[in-house]
Amino acid sequence: MTVPVWRRAALSVAMLLLACLIAVPLYYVVVNTFKTQGEMVASPLSLPTSPVLDNYREVLSDPRMYRSFANTLYVTVISVVLQLLVGALAAYAMVVRTSRLNRILANLLLIGFVVPGQSTLIPLYRTLVGFELVDNLNGLVVMYLGGAIFCYFLVQGYMRTLPFEVIEAARIDGAHDGQIFWHVVLPLIKPILVTVGIFQSMWVWNDFLLPTVFISSPDKRTVVLQVYNAVTEFTTNWPMFMTVSVIALVPMIVFFVLTQKHIASGLLAGSVKG
Amino acid sequence: MKRRSRPTALAALAAAAALALTACSGDSGDGGDSGGTTTLTFLSWTGEEQMEQVIDAFEEDHPDIDVEASYSPPVAEYIQALQTRVLSGTAPDVFLIAAENKTNLINGEHVLDLSGEDFVENVEPFNLETYGRDGKYYGLSLSSWAAGYLYNKELLAQVGYDAVPETWDEFLEMCAKLQDAGITPFLESVDQMPTTVSAWVGAKNAEMEPSLDDQIFSGESTFAEQWTPELEEYNRIFEEGLMSPDVVGLDGDQVRDEFANGRVAVINGGPWFIGALKEANPDLDFSFSLVPAIDGGEPFAAGAASPGYAINSKADEDKQEAAKTFLRWLATPEAVELFQSLTNDVTVTSDFEPPVDPTFEPMVPSIREGQLYLPMIAWQRAEDVLNVEAVAQIQRMIRGEVEPEQVAEALDTKLAAS
Amino acid sequence: MTTLATRPTAGLRPSDARTWLSRPSGGWRQSAVNKAFLLPAIAVFVFLFVIPLAQTFWWSLTDFTGYSPEAAFVGLANYRVILTDPSMLAGLAFTLLFGVGTTLLITLLAIPLAVQLNKAFRGRNLVRSIWFFPAIPSMAILGLVWRYILSPLDSGALNTVLGTFGLGPVSWLSDPTLARISVIVVGVWAATGWHAVLYTAYLQSIPQDYYEVARIDGATPRQQFFGITLPLLTPAIVISTFLLMTGGLKVFDLPYTLTTGGPGFSTYTITQSIVVSGVGQGRYGLASALAVMFTVAVAALSFGQLWLTRLVEKRFT
Repeated sequence: MTVPVWRRAALSVAMLLLACLIAVPLYYVVVNTFKTQGEMVASPLSLPTSPVLDNYREVLSDPRMYRSFANTLYVTVISVVLQLLVGALAAYAMVVRTSRLNRILANLLLIGFVVPGQSTLIPLYRTLVGFELVDNLNGLVVMYLGGAIFCYFLVQGYMRTLPFEVIEAARIDGAHDGQIFWHVVLPLIKPILVTVGIFQSMWVWNDFLLPTVFISSPDKRTVVLQVYNAVTEFTTNWPMFMTVSVIALVPMIVFFVLTQKHIASGLLAGSVKG
Repeated sequence: MKRRSRPTALAALAAAAALALTACSGDSGDGGDSGGTTTLTFLSWTGEEQMEQVIDAFEEDHPDIDVEASYSPPVAEYIQALQTRVLSGTAPDVFLIAAENKTNLINGEHVLDLSGEDFVENVEPFNLETYGRDGKYYGLSLSSWAAGYLYNKELLAQVGYDAVPETWDEFLEMCAKLQDAGITPFLESVDQMPTTVSAWVGAKNAEMEPSLDDQIFSGESTFAEQWTPELEEYNRIFEEGLMSPDVVGLDGDQVRDEFANGRVAVINGGPWFIGALKEANPDLDFSFSLVPAIDGGEPFAAGAASPGYAINSKADEDKQEAAKTFLRWLATPEAVELFQSLTNDVTVTSDFEPPVDPTFEPMVPSIREGQLYLPMIAWQRAEDVLNVEAVAQIQRMIRGEVEPEQVAEALDTKLAAS
Repeated sequence: MTTLATRPTAGLRPSDARTWLSRPSGGWRQSAVNKAFLLPAIAVFVFLFVIPLAQTFWWSLTDFTGYSPEAAFVGLANYRVILTDPSMLAGLAFTLLFGVGTTLLITLLAIPLAVQLNKAFRGRNLVRSIWFFPAIPSMAILGLVWRYILSPLDSGALNTVLGTFGLGPVSWLSDPTLARISVIVVGVWAATGWHAVLYTAYLQSIPQDYYEVARIDGATPRQQFFGITLPLLTPAIVISTFLLMTGGLKVFDLPYTLTTGGPGFSTYTITQSIVVSGVGQGRYGLASALAVMFTVAVAALSFGQLWLTRLVEKRFT
């Protein structure tokens, strides 16, 4: 590795500058959480003259906020783990066995992508009423399982790039599919699982459409419903709205920062050589 | 394979977290009705912060009724949530009937007729008729909103005016003077039906018998005939360069913020701006006015009756009785006063005079007498189709892509196709 | 470009996997296990997609309002209404423009970005997080923020900046062409980072030895990119563009929050029509017909594009 120091420095500077540009809207959201409605209207882009923490204080003193956090965490953790599991299992089955039936199935599953969510909402709602899964957090988990198709698609694409010597070696050693999947394949596909997991978590955490239709009790609200609780018919207290949003997003940001190193961990190279 | 145990550990951790959470969310089930109380389900349009206090007050007066409220933010989300629930037979006992769903709710016989009930007696007929049909009332609408012009007194004074003139010609004259003085005269948000157009069509409708929309929807008249003169008048302000065509990209909040910062003399808007304006700029000296008249008519306001409380006709008898008790209570002066103090809505029951902000005084008579008009609510079918079309076509007119007459003709085409 | 010459002869190549794949794996037992692995995904697919879609198709042939379960059969009347509606055509045009435009632009930006983000430099984690940030908040908030930034008024954020250079004001969201461009640019802004992260994950599966050998052979960074990185990223490109295309064609909340489809119908989308007619207008039969036609159209387009990229992929591997 003989990259000149000045080139790395130049890359740093260029990338940081570009990132600053990308982050302008982020700045806009965060800076306005420290303002009153009045100050935001008068000067939306400037730094707050005297930062007010009232928005945060008010939001965090509401016990319903914590309740909605617990609800969202429950739905997000369970549904994303299930989505990844279902998707990865299917991807593995498709990749190791390319029978004609599997090829047809593989193409059929992709239809799951092209269906606009709005068009299946009402039929699904009626089905879930029959299973008493409406106004129920587990009902949301069931709905989000649809994301398993997305996971399947991304994971199978990634699996195709893997060196399958490893799997073959395990099979010669007498391991069955379950063992190979759990002990060989899952560690190998970790970068994509983390990537997809992050993305699906963002979706479930932020989703508005499904909770607004499927959840009606205030004590089963998700964070996003709690955020929209501040919206009224004609006018919105934007600083408050943005504050709730920022608080709702903090766990996602922490989650991303904690997991992102696994996306590019060089795990694969290690396991192939070792 | 040193790392083989890692995914297992991760999965176990996730499962544990999930279990712990199930445990703590398990106790949230309904406790069941205790000792002869009726549970009333209610999907509120008003935000939780305000409605919760109203419900608490009601439950204090009526300990035998337990209101189980849920909330959905208006407008689209509310309509969607209610629609899915009505269709699936899980509709709440009490919900709100609004412009967007009234046709379907009434046609499907999902709402109870309230016309014989004592609690509608004190309510302004305009509000009841908005959510009624053929002499029957399906919604208890207790307040109205009105939109008109807001003007900056200081900026108007600079060109020698102390209020918005009463006619459109004089108004355009004033705009020209403001522009000459280097002041942006007027900004109207046209992401929705322009306030000006609604008010003019309303003023015209008020003079007509049978009403303008009765004539259009029965086929006696057309949009091209009724709307073209108003649209042509409206287009003048763009043709004369007194308002920038850029307004097609603005929403109400942006227009309000320009006004709060003193960068524009007149905007369109309603009472929901008052709080934000006073907070943003406490020194701002402003007032409301009705929309100036054209064609020898009277100044008028855009506006409508707020959504009305409706009772689910499919609910059990005892639930319906409890629901009536709830609505009867909501219409009492005490409840109206409480609701008014929490929401600042202008209420329309005859036995309570709502206090209003002095800047809004010019609009109050219109509201209390039901002298309001909003095309989307007055239209008799295909309301939303026509509204979407009208807004888009008016935007095109403002950009100079189509003539006023073509806008009205496009509405006729839409109506014929629906 | 000598693709093969820069590659090491030893080491693992994706094509090795492919030969392994095509080998039939034998035994009914293996086959049964294989089916068991597929079962959950098939159950999800049938329960959450096939059945509701069939229901939607039935409704598309009726005058269903979305309020009462009773609905009368009306044949293809709903389809006829859609095909003769001029605003629907406007929606179709922008939907296509958005789908194709964002797919192309994001792919062209995300690959080089991923390569840069994969290099070691100071502040890499921070930069990577920032690029990913636009994927986090809901579009409702981002749409509002961009609405303020792109406001056509002199006081709009971007116009204020331009003003200090003596430029503008520009009618970002109120001129039909600029509004279309603005919506696409915001769409690119929102998704480029996340797709770069996706490519980064795939970059991990390219063995470093390839580059070492290439360097020894004297290949320039440009040659390495086109000779090694790009060909080996084709599986990722297939997936990323498929996601972008399907997502782009289904876009709803971004144009809706940014421009509400305006000015006129210039940024109106098909999904907006579906939502507006199904929910706002209680014409659920019509909305269902629209959804069915849209699903078929998106399927045709996306599968066509998938087939095309896979063809390209085959050429490289």
